[in-house]
Amino acid sequence: MSLTKAKFATRHAFGQRLLERGADNSDFVVFESDLGKSSQSTLFGDVYPNRYFNMGIAELNTMATAAGMAAGGRTAFVAGYSVFISMRALEAVRTVICYPNLNVKLYASHGGVTAAIDGVTHQGSEDIAFMTTLPNMKVLVPMDTVSARAACDLALATPGPVFVRLLRDPLFEFYFAGEPFEIGGSKIVRKGEDITIASYGDIVFQALQAADALSAQGIEAEVLDLYSLKPVDVEAVLDSVRRTGALLVAENHQKRNGLAYELAATLLKAEPVAFDHLGLDDCFAESGNYFAMIDKYGFSAAKIVEAAERLLLKGRNAPRRAEP
Amino acid sequence: MAATALERRAVELQAIAYEVRFHILDMVHNAQSGHISPGLGAADIVAALYFEIMRIDPKNPAMEDRDRFVLSKGHSCPVLYAALALRGYFPVEELKTLRRMGSRLQGHPVKGMLPGVEATSGSLGMGACQAVGMALEGRMLGKDYNIWALLGDGELDEGVVWETSAAAAKYKLGNLVFIVDRNGLQTDGPCETVMPMEPIDKKFEAFNWKVMKMDGHNIPDILTTLQAAREYRSGPVCVIAKTVKGKGVRFMENTCEWHAKAPNDEPYAKAVAELREGRS
Repeated sequence: MSLTKAKFATRHAFGQRLLERGADNSDFVVFESDLGKSSQSTLFGDVYPNRYFNMGIAELNTMATAAGMAAGGRTAFVAGYSVFISMRALEAVRTVICYPNLNVKLYASHGGVTAAIDGVTHQGSEDIAFMTTLPNMKVLVPMDTVSARAACDLALATPGPVFVRLLRDPLFEFYFAGEPFEIGGSKIVRKGEDITIASYGDIVFQALQAADALSAQGIEAEVLDLYSLKPVDVEAVLDSVRRTGALLVAENHQKRNGLAYELAATLLKAEPVAFDHLGLDDCFAESGNYFAMIDKYGFSAAKIVEAAERLLLKGRNAPRRAEP
Repeated sequence: MAATALERRAVELQAIAYEVRFHILDMVHNAQSGHISPGLGAADIVAALYFEIMRIDPKNPAMEDRDRFVLSKGHSCPVLYAALALRGYFPVEELKTLRRMGSRLQGHPVKGMLPGVEATSGSLGMGACQAVGMALEGRMLGKDYNIWALLGDGELDEGVVWETSAAAAKYKLGNLVFIVDRNGLQTDGPCETVMPMEPIDKKFEAFNWKVMKMDGHNIPDILTTLQAAREYRSGPVCVIAKTVKGKGVRFMENTCEWHAKAPNDEPYAKAVAELREGRS
């Protein structure tokens, strides 16, 4: 399939949707830490200055102050870069937001190594590990502008803290406007019966391209968009791997404590299948071009193809369990 | 000469503060865990807030236009729990459950768990930030309620206190008062040895706060100063309260020893006796 190039990044789509929702919902507020022009939270702030608080370059204070604003039940969005939201402000997210289950929504741009050109300091490549570990937290990673707008609506509609990981650069479009999304949901974005490739965010595009390449070799991959990372749609994954017998997880994140670890633990309990995963292999990335970066660090379409071939070969050669 | 109304009220509040202190001793002795001396030192201020200064209704803890109190030095929570119970937010009997499994009286305060607790605190600095957030909301809504936060002096080491102080001044939060419990001691020793923060008054002034000072054990001074702090609406106010850590129990006063130590029966009995002596 050929992917349509996107005009806008998911961070922009999220900011645009927040601005639109500002008109029909006068209760929520938005906090920023001096990255508003980058996160695109200024789209909202320029129109609703009385509901927009730029707290300066002080992410921890921004987060804990948002908790105070949300103490009485109000919804507060906190915009910023994923690396700062998920780490500089982590303790506030855990202790004064997740613990009392406040309506604070984390609007986190530059997730994964999508801030590639900026270097490691600005890459949120451990954010999923931190955020999915926190009780009460929900985690969404939209892949395109349609799902990013939906993530904004879901964050507003869902009680308690929600973390939304967004991308720095425009990549591709996939979903049609009106596509329904839900907390805990997932999408089969390509049907196949030989192997399941599960991913989220930008790497779903790589998985789709990999599936095309695999198809040319007679391997039909099923591709899952697990846009809700917490809660994750375990049933959808189990249903798929029961048909395909193999699971490959590819993610723009450390391999450790990301989606693959979550699914591996689930599958070991419920449905052990041939399994492999791609991501940052206990290392930091670097500055550079996004597409070169995800290839060098091992989660591009080409690397997904190689891993799928290895996995299926291993699966075929593995000794079969005797039928009872 | 007849006592003034302020003096008469001060005598009543002094008695309440002593009740609070008895409960702090009881709770920590009973739990055999918790922070005694930080609460004893803050008892007069907390009693004045809950029994005189703050606009609150214990029968309606979520009253929209209530004043909010954030115990940013959350480890001192026996003083908060005792004041809330005595004020009628929950049964005094429940104070016995401090730090027990299943209790609403957690080791540090948790928002939403116990009526009257406005913020999850104990991670130092973050109560102050939440107070700023509450004050921002009040300002945004055009409300006239006040936000009060009690900070430890050691807590001022936390950089986020200064981040949030800058924000409070930016938004001219005239509905916000920080009270710094200036007892001069933190966990590992004298504040000025562990991390010198003086001049505290000039630091807050440099952050464009109005600074006031009071004797944190002189009830008339507390009432007068906090009332003045409430009435000052041009921006945030920092009240530096000179206090004695462990106030009311001489062997706990001005020492770090009883910061986080629970007394067994003997020092407990001695402490109760001393408190009785001080009250009479």
